[in-house]
Amino acid sequence: MEKLIEFFLHHSLSTILIVPLFAAVIIAFLPNKESVCGIVSLIFSLDILLDVLVVIFSKFDPNLTALQYVENYRWFGDTIRIKLACDGLSISMVLLMAISLPVTIIASQPIAKNKPKLYYSMLMILTTSVLGVFLAQDLFLFFLFWELELAPMYFLIAIWGGPNKDYAALKFLIYTFTAGVCMFAAVLLLFFSSGANTFDMEVLTRYGSNLPHHFQLICFLLFFVCFIIKLPSFPFHTWLPDAHVEAPTPVSMLLAGILLKMGGYGIYRICVGFFPHVLSELALWIAILAAVNIIGAAVACLVQDDMKRIIAYSSVSHMGFVLLGVASLTPAGFSGGIFQMFSHGLISAALFMLVGTLYERTHTRQISDYGGMTKYMPKCFYLFTLATMANLALPALSGFVGESLVFYGAFSSELFKQFPTKLYFNFGQICVLFSALGVILTAGYMLWLLQRVFMGPENTKWSKLTDLRTSEIVVLGSLLALVVVWGVYPVSLSNLYEPSSSALVEFAKKATSSL
Amino acid sequence: MADKILQASWLIALVPLVSSLLIMFFAHRCKITSAFLSIGAVFYGLIHSLLILYISYLNPERTLEINFPWISAGAFKLFVGYLIDPLCAMMLVVVCVVSFFVQVYTHGYMKEDPNYSKFYAYLSLFTFSMLGLVFSTNLFQSYIFWELVGVCSYLLIGFWWYKPSAANACTKAFVVNRIGDAGLLIGLLMLYSSTQNFWLNKTTLAFGQLKNAIDFAIGSHLLPVVGIVSVTTIALFVLMGPMAKSAQFPLHVWLPDAMEGPTPISALIHAATMVAAGVYLIARCYPLYIAAPVAMATVAWIGGITAIFAATIALSQFDIKRTLAYSTCSQLGYMVMALGLGAYSAGLFHLMTHAFFKAMLFLCSGSVIVGCHHEQDIRQMGGLRKHMPITSLTCLVGVLAISGFPLMSGFWSKDMILASAWEHNKPLFIIGSVTALLTAFYMFRLYFMTFEGEYRGHAHPHETTPSITIPLICLAVPSIFIGLIGSPLIPGGDKFSSFIHFGEYHAHHEWGINVFVKELLTTQGLIPLFAFIVGTIFAWMVYRKGFALNTFVKKNLSFIYNLSFNKWYVDEVYFWVLNRIILPCYRVLWSVIDKTIVDGVFVNGSARVAAIVGGGLRFIETGRGQLYALVIFGSVLFAVLFLITRIAR
Repeated sequence: MEKLIEFFLHHSLSTILIVPLFAAVIIAFLPNKESVCGIVSLIFSLDILLDVLVVIFSKFDPNLTALQYVENYRWFGDTIRIKLACDGLSISMVLLMAISLPVTIIASQPIAKNKPKLYYSMLMILTTSVLGVFLAQDLFLFFLFWELELAPMYFLIAIWGGPNKDYAALKFLIYTFTAGVCMFAAVLLLFFSSGANTFDMEVLTRYGSNLPHHFQLICFLLFFVCFIIKLPSFPFHTWLPDAHVEAPTPVSMLLAGILLKMGGYGIYRICVGFFPHVLSELALWIAILAAVNIIGAAVACLVQDDMKRIIAYSSVSHMGFVLLGVASLTPAGFSGGIFQMFSHGLISAALFMLVGTLYERTHTRQISDYGGMTKYMPKCFYLFTLATMANLALPALSGFVGESLVFYGAFSSELFKQFPTKLYFNFGQICVLFSALGVILTAGYMLWLLQRVFMGPENTKWSKLTDLRTSEIVVLGSLLALVVVWGVYPVSLSNLYEPSSSALVEFAKKATSSL
Repeated sequence: MADKILQASWLIALVPLVSSLLIMFFAHRCKITSAFLSIGAVFYGLIHSLLILYISYLNPERTLEINFPWISAGAFKLFVGYLIDPLCAMMLVVVCVVSFFVQVYTHGYMKEDPNYSKFYAYLSLFTFSMLGLVFSTNLFQSYIFWELVGVCSYLLIGFWWYKPSAANACTKAFVVNRIGDAGLLIGLLMLYSSTQNFWLNKTTLAFGQLKNAIDFAIGSHLLPVVGIVSVTTIALFVLMGPMAKSAQFPLHVWLPDAMEGPTPISALIHAATMVAAGVYLIARCYPLYIAAPVAMATVAWIGGITAIFAATIALSQFDIKRTLAYSTCSQLGYMVMALGLGAYSAGLFHLMTHAFFKAMLFLCSGSVIVGCHHEQDIRQMGGLRKHMPITSLTCLVGVLAISGFPLMSGFWSKDMILASAWEHNKPLFIIGSVTALLTAFYMFRLYFMTFEGEYRGHAHPHETTPSITIPLICLAVPSIFIGLIGSPLIPGGDKFSSFIHFGEYHAHHEWGINVFVKELLTTQGLIPLFAFIVGTIFAWMVYRKGFALNTFVKKNLSFIYNLSFNKWYVDEVYFWVLNRIILPCYRVLWSVIDKTIVDGVFVNGSARVAAIVGGGLRFIETGRGQLYALVIFGSVLFAVLFLITRIAR
């Protein structure tokens, strides 16, 4: 037994990656019944969650900013290696995935009745690839996992999606593939230009800032485009509303909950980690892009008629805060960006679930078809209200923590002082001021949505509807409980990643000032 | 012992939160348990806060501030905690007293409602948030609870969600408040970023350090007093929060609509406590305003304008609760004006007296509404004094108190404000006095139309149950007498100003009846009294003696009448701008940028380009090896030549 534990602790990250693959294989041999496959994959997902928690609580030291749990195997010679490791940043993303997965599987019950084996296998392969992105410390491996994510996601949308699924799935595929191509080009460029003869990200970090300036700029831009396609950010965001509208509820939950965070994670890990100098040069443009996202997507939300589109655009708006936090290059901004990714993962998953429960019962997403739903679905109303409040960043719910950290960080950023204007505010601060108006717009569209769907005179067409089932309440309850816990006591989460993110800021600042 | 009582004061806020959670999750099916939990929690708070007030009164210098780190990132830290000082002690008592009586009253008012327990859960949650706001040690914590009281208000306005008017009102209330919050947020960001270095090793944005922080910023030339980024603009941005929360012009529009909520809510949140939070926040940030005279003057003028503006609307409203709502706006205007004039104690004194009599007035209106079987139009009332003796008597007390009948609570606080206006700003004194006249007129109009004359409705009005009338009687007592603590009639003189003050103050005031008479017989003492008498006589003549003033105004000055009756068309203008300009612009913006440019030109356009290019490539990709080889050779040649030229240079 002790040996087993010892073995696990030495190979914990590869275990975490292999378990879902193993599960996918097991599921392939199961009878083609939703109940069996569902339970089996739920058990495996809980096992992953357990593994992650063991990793976090056993030997993981958040104050140690270096990589931990390092596993380094030869693969293609010494050049391409299987190197897995985690620090505070990646482990918090892994935790988010591990939390989202069981919740998604419970939510999958209705949708997976169609081809359950395939569905759950795809879900498990997706899990491996996403976890791989967060854990890989070899750039080539990182790229492979990044690309691997594409296939299961394409099928999850294209097979289990809504009426316009082909268009949405193809759009998703092309966008993500473009992102992959950009990344591949950047990876090769970096590999050959650095001359380090390795893909090890830790080593490349040291080489990145020594490259000629235009090389850095090109690599940075290629990576950055790749990541903001995934994030998504203007002008590469239009795949998201389409994908979300057509994707089935649990897939939307995963998509918004965790896949978008791959983009954010990539920006932190690679754009900041490799090219801090370029980041500080382009900070202003990133801040402008962030403000455009925050305000533009909120404006788009106000004029949508489709519930799911509102939530999708609201994702774009909220992920803008991640960009703003990164651009500020302050500990508060960085920490806020990561917190925002985490809390948005939970909140948007909850919102997609809620919209999904309505859609499942009524088969319409048009807001005008609803009204006074509280009468028939009071529990849904309460949870929707809570999720709405979380989404509009009400204090004491997790959305507020990330946004206020980003606001304070970005507004008092030293970096933005390089961009003065005649208005006494610097350019970065003006972006923050604009973003602050998003606070009003977010309240506007979310509350208007809540009002049009749940309040006012009821639409008697829906009088036969039943309120939330227990499984749905479990899903929403667990997501929103975490939203409340981390909103009231944010240190419990931020302690996990804060030293790493502050160290990253320190590193980036040092690299910037040395040049 | 006293230390322990102060240190345990966080319980006052926490107990209602616990009771709210208990009701939400466990007691929502049992009416009696939920009422018991909720009322018990606030009763505990009441006793505890009275003890704190007593301790604090014995020794006003004794303050307590305890902070806990909430989140940190690098050098950036945010704190939450609790602060006990005289102002906090006074607010705690006001909130707990009003909350307690309103919760008792709720039992009678909401007895029949199917969501009775939920109502108590929300009430407790509100009490928690409001107490948390009162306890706040720093501006950031204030912002947290500031938003929490806002969401409680939202939930309670929308309590009867099936009424479209309530659904609109709650969204409107939250969004308008969010406009203020955004301003407040910007103010806090500016304040923090310009005083960043000051807060190292201190509680970030702590109220107690605000003066030092501003002195530091001005002293080290980080922040000028006037300019685009200056103490003045920070103060003005911060002011947006109080303007929305305390319903000051032009962000007042949500408050009258908020009356769609159940009446206990109107009494507790939209009259006595939450709307006063704006005034409280201005008082807490006073160093900021003292340092920026322009901002201070703006505060005074916004208060004065709101006072008279809301009073003119209240003149012609027929909905009993809306009339009271506009009178709340107007009275809040007085408080804000007082703070802007530098009359710190007077503004907070009016906050306290107003909390009691306005809560009572709202509860009276609720009693009338229940007694008349959910009729709110005062044209359908009249002669209710015979049917509802207790309600009418307490209502009369409230009307006298708000209009400034000598020796009642509103008289003292309003006089204090007007006296300081006389001293510092004569135009605002005139505005304040005219408002006092209008107040007396519309409040007596309300009283006469409701309780005197003949009954004009069709229901059978009756007196309400004891759980409604007892809170009324209990609140009538402070409505009459609480003003005395700020009067020269008690030994030692104005105790309120000695207890709650900003900066220097006179520890000893003159006192005695002769002092009172001497103060009254000055211009600034007589004019408000005169305004009260004139307003009352006018109302009496018009609504009791049939003096046809209102028909005259309606006929010959219909323009003015319509302005007042339609609330100066502010709502119409806002909705026109929103529906005709903002939303259509957004729609165009979205469809042009997202649908046409990004999706249309780039995405689908690039697909088309790909198709065309693919079509073209068919001619090149012929499958003939020679051609491929030629292309490869050409490219390599080109690359080599390129490299050579680069190296040669």
